[in-house]
Amino acid sequence: MMRKILSVVFFFCMCAKFAAAQKLSVDKVYSTYLRNSGTIMKNNQIKGYFFLYLSDKIDKHTNEYTLQILDENLNKVREIKFEDSKKLSLLESSYNGSSLSFLFKNDDTETLDMKIYDLDGKLKFVYSRSYDKKTEDLMKQYETMHTDESTNQNVFDLGDQGYVSVLPLRDGKQRTYEVDYYASETKKQWTYIPNDDEEKYANAEFLGNTDSLIILEVMKKNRALSNKVTSHLVGVNFVTKKKVFDIDNANDTYTFVPSSVVPVKGSGKILVMGSYFDKNDNIIKDFSKGLAIYEISGEGKVLSKSYNTWAEDFARYLPTNRKGKIDNIGYLYIHKLIQTPDNKYFVVGEGYKRQANAGGIALNTLAAIGGARTNVGVTKIVVTDMVMMEFDSLFKITNATVYDKTNNNAVTSNMSDYNSQHIIAILLKASGAFDYAFTTGDADNSNFSVCYDDWERSSDYKGETFNTIHYDGSKFTTDKIELKSKASRLKVFPAKAGSVMILEYFKKDKRLDLRLEKLG
Amino acid sequence: MNFCKLSTLYPKRLLILICISVSFSLVANGQVAVFTPATEDTVLLEKLYSNYEDKFNKELAALSANNKKDYEEAYRDRLEYIKEKFHKKEIYTSQIAQQYLDALVNEVKKANPVLQKQSFECYFSRSGVPNASYIGEGIILFNMGLFEKLDNESEAAFVICHEIAHYVMKHSDKRIADYVTAINSDEVQKELKKIKGSQYRKREQLEKLVKGLTFDSRRHGRDHESEADSLAVELMHNSRFNVMASITTLNLLDSIDNDTLNTAACLERMFNFPAFPFKKKWIAHEEGLLGGHAKLTVDSALADSLKTHPDCKQRIKILEPLVNKYTSANASNDVVNKHEFDSLKNAFSYEIISYAFASKNFTRSFYYTLKLLQKNPDDSYLIVQVGKILNGFYACQKTHTLGKVIELPAPGNSANYNSLLQFVQNLYLDDYASLSYHYLDQHSEKLNSYAPFKTEYSISIQTAKQ
Repeated sequence: MMRKILSVVFFFCMCAKFAAAQKLSVDKVYSTYLRNSGTIMKNNQIKGYFFLYLSDKIDKHTNEYTLQILDENLNKVREIKFEDSKKLSLLESSYNGSSLSFLFKNDDTETLDMKIYDLDGKLKFVYSRSYDKKTEDLMKQYETMHTDESTNQNVFDLGDQGYVSVLPLRDGKQRTYEVDYYASETKKQWTYIPNDDEEKYANAEFLGNTDSLIILEVMKKNRALSNKVTSHLVGVNFVTKKKVFDIDNANDTYTFVPSSVVPVKGSGKILVMGSYFDKNDNIIKDFSKGLAIYEISGEGKVLSKSYNTWAEDFARYLPTNRKGKIDNIGYLYIHKLIQTPDNKYFVVGEGYKRQANAGGIALNTLAAIGGARTNVGVTKIVVTDMVMMEFDSLFKITNATVYDKTNNNAVTSNMSDYNSQHIIAILLKASGAFDYAFTTGDADNSNFSVCYDDWERSSDYKGETFNTIHYDGSKFTTDKIELKSKASRLKVFPAKAGSVMILEYFKKDKRLDLRLEKLG
Repeated sequence: MNFCKLSTLYPKRLLILICISVSFSLVANGQVAVFTPATEDTVLLEKLYSNYEDKFNKELAALSANNKKDYEEAYRDRLEYIKEKFHKKEIYTSQIAQQYLDALVNEVKKANPVLQKQSFECYFSRSGVPNASYIGEGIILFNMGLFEKLDNESEAAFVICHEIAHYVMKHSDKRIADYVTAINSDEVQKELKKIKGSQYRKREQLEKLVKGLTFDSRRHGRDHESEADSLAVELMHNSRFNVMASITTLNLLDSIDNDTLNTAACLERMFNFPAFPFKKKWIAHEEGLLGGHAKLTVDSALADSLKTHPDCKQRIKILEPLVNKYTSANASNDVVNKHEFDSLKNAFSYEIISYAFASKNFTRSFYYTLKLLQKNPDDSYLIVQVGKILNGFYACQKTHTLGKVIELPAPGNSANYNSLLQFVQNLYLDDYASLSYHYLDQHSEKLNSYAPFKTEYSISIQTAKQ
């Protein structure tokens, strides 16, 4: 699964090219190189694109970079030139409507530099934060479980308040996290590092924000290899810089593991959805009881809870057993929670299950006979169908629809033999093995499209497809793009809300066609 | 060198008969003239291009050895551009129109014997862009998008004379020669070698070098435009055309990009139906840098240096003394055939709609259609065209190829055009179908005997049902 937009090479040509046998031409004298590219995000939607080029060498230690900014329709709107270390890379970018932020990693100074530019391309502020090797290693392993393809993992906008980044941090023996807030209108920055966690290992993921709160999901444990993980919902006020709440189920009937947050506009409240377990269950090893939605105030007070059990509530719409396993589909990984303007809630799920691996069984048998070992599992994990679930304004499930797709063998190593369904889900998400790609649509979700990949084998067509489940405010329809075309290669990427970017490469003509296509 | 001229292919009497039916045909019941696009003669276009290609190859063979490869590359690029014009059927092959254009040209030639032996040809281009150009190989293109905005034949003559001047003064060839000479000069080669050998700041050095070359080139280009204006006035002065038209044309060009269509209001009026009311969100767009509607600040000093043409006001200032010297009370604005001028002017405002659609720019066709509908709200062709375009959007979106036939909002567009583009972006598949159906349905009683209407209406009913 693509985490970043495919890097396409744009040649930076300033003048008509010409060639002469012994004479020099511009393209033989100078070239530019694409260093990084990616999307510019605002409120979880793609708003534009950045391309960072190495455009010149200034001296032994310094390069000139050209940062090209394209708007959501692929028009170049800004070009920013600056000089910096040779060992510079651009990690992520965000936009809040009045400024642009770029998080750079400088391997020379070993700093993460957040640069804020105004819309004219003028540098406003630079905020730097050092990192050491151990933190850098942690950063490389950092994967979020609830972000879509090509969306940011670390940098998010807070509207006109500025930006926030959430990054892992190695603090002595403690592996924890750091939340950095960066103002965009004035030079103001603060860092929050939890200092009251008893556990030594904490991993945080940004789930969302309200007008004043940053909401994180924090998973904590005491030992590196421990399977006993506790899940916390943490709210940090970015105005007062203080932690407002840390909800950890201590006083709850169940253990709640949040996965999605939807701020309730204008109220300061948030809706949190996730799996819930019996109190003494191990959230890594045991099966969840179902899905819950909590309504939480800005102060961290749980205002209401709604539980939907696999065994009863979901079973009315899907053939589900007590452990949440749905016939033919397996377990559900929840990708997204969507709230529509008429207070309906939709949950995007995708199935995964463990199956016997005939080839693995044979290999293991042969290996055993020969006294050898193999790392091919006797079971395999397959990713199954998409499931769309609908909830009413009281957060009770009212419908569930299965969208068939071809089973996809995701894990065939012996990892599948020895790990719980939760670990497997984490593995699948981290490795991009799920077919779900992203959800796109109107900012208020009155129309949205859930996008996923598939492989079709029918009499009309055999090959990869890009599929959408589109909601128009009242009903769902499906659509697909066949990825086999006259082009040598066709790829679909997320783009601005409601659209995808289709890239077609024609090898014979040496031509690359890029266009935006609307969905639904 | 003789080329096959469009106007020699048909006898004159037959042409007169064709004249009646060339653009507007009578609708069976209402006796209302309805536009029908002229059919393009693809065989003729191929033959014409083939002749130009032959000529080009002969000229290429005669190039001198000095920097031959560079010249060849530049000329081939130019020919490739010409080839596109013919292969995309941009050249208008209507006999009547060509005869008329030839008549205008002949009026200028007649009065200027020096032009008699020159072998250049003028063609109408079906492009809606208000422009005319000399594109090389003796080909002058007069865009319909410019012709339909002119007021009289003298203005058309000024445009033609300006482009003839470029041809006669070999401006295009000179620019290629200047470029090839500059790039291959010892000075530039020395500089390129120096840049290649530098370890650092290559881009900076190269940009400086290229900027210098570009500024020189553009300055020469602006000089060429002023020269062409002056020679155009000289050519016109010898003819029966009114030289004052040079000033009125430049004034027109100065404001030709001003876009007065209030697209949002227009769309709201056109697409509001009792059973399917207009939705404000269809014309909503995001302000800000990244929404496609940004107003980008321009480095005006740099922009001035990079202009290919002097400002129209500047051009008028330079021309005025000459024009005042030559102004004559006896000059006439219309000399050849005023009726034909008006007829073509009218037809061209439709032809550009048809061509934009045929060349797969549905949004451009839509925009031209909306503009013309403000003048002719009951025009059957235009009404059907709206339905055809909406049906086209639907069909393309179904096959995920809509992105190939529409433009996207961009900072370089006019705000009004961007509004239309945003409207197309904001609609969903079902919206195209519903809008087409409801829009055509309101005209069904009046137009149900008009075959193209029946076709599009029937399609809209099918898609709305789906």
